[in-house]
Amino acid sequence: MSVYAINELCYRAVHDPPFREALLADPSGTLVTLDLTADERKALLERNVGQLYLWGANTFLLGHLMRYKLFGVEREQYSQSIWAAARSAGRPAGGP
Amino acid sequence: MAEIVCALGVPHTPAFPRMARSEGPEGPVERLFRAVREQLEAVQPDVLVVYDSDHVNTFFFNNWPTFAIGVTPQIYGPNDDNSGLPKTVVASNEDLAHHLYAGGIHSGFDFALAQKFEIDHSIMVPLHFVTPKLNVPIVPLFINGVAPPLPAAKRCFALGSAVRSTIEGWPQDLRVAILASGSFSLDVAGPMMEPGGNSGTPAMDWSNRVVELLGAGKITDLLEETTSDQIARAGNVAGEILNWIAMLGMLDGRKPAFVEKHDGFGHAFAAWRWD
Repeated sequence: MSVYAINELCYRAVHDPPFREALLADPSGTLVTLDLTADERKALLERNVGQLYLWGANTFLLGHLMRYKLFGVEREQYSQSIWAAARSAGRPAGGP
Repeated sequence: MAEIVCALGVPHTPAFPRMARSEGPEGPVERLFRAVREQLEAVQPDVLVVYDSDHVNTFFFNNWPTFAIGVTPQIYGPNDDNSGLPKTVVASNEDLAHHLYAGGIHSGFDFALAQKFEIDHSIMVPLHFVTPKLNVPIVPLFINGVAPPLPAAKRCFALGSAVRSTIEGWPQDLRVAILASGSFSLDVAGPMMEPGGNSGTPAMDWSNRVVELLGAGKITDLLEETTSDQIARAGNVAGEILNWIAMLGMLDGRKPAFVEKHDGFGHAFAAWRWD
């Protein structure tokens, strides 16, 4: 598991515009250049934000996936995923 | 001798510039920031010492400081996109910053030294409203408020006391204002976000309690109640309260000139005067 690399991806999405453009243009091709496990690449490509959160990624940084719609992450789907993950772990969650 | 002339506490919501435009000059955002700005302008500061929590834009986890200080002639910001503010350069006071860096080390607060860095909306949004001409140099002091484990409230309070002593030991005549940036309850893109937005206010009761304690000057109670568990319940950036607590460590028990909750939000605006 490489939570560091997930956090770094989110950080670079803000601070490295060419990297962000590459992620938007070729998500899977860009992910293979990063130090991520196969499971992590799968979770990102499947927009499984809740799993990234449960692995320990920083939630403020994960929000950048939604802001830039990386991997097609939209707010509604992001919310549902992170709420469900928190509930599954017995942690407080917002939402309906 | 340098003297502290006022202290301000404000939030830094990235939407504030947009909200201010849509609400107009008598809307809550403009009105609350105007109340703070008038306190600052009345004391004619030479420099603004800012307690801030980086939102993983100034630093990253390759080298993540609990406490850091910026020592540089000028600072670029905002380096994030969420506020829509123009990217610009703010003057700093490098000599005072270095004095605070050394003073911290000598008094047991081992600041990380940042000499080449950028700042994000959490400083630029407050400056946009309180020094809109960006004509007051800033010295940023960073406290980790977003990536646990966070420093303890009492530790941050003691840091503020040490910074105050260091400022007052600076031989140049300088009028120093203090600004603390942050919310008391806010979860941005975390599991406590609410439907329809990208954030939530999971502990409005806690935010209201903080406002009550600030207004009453019950700082000992505030330090006791600001535990790591309480911060965690209040959201993923609720540790920004540590910036306010560092500022409170400089106040020597002063009561605020005003403290006002921002209706509907887990944050408040406040000012303290020395005269």
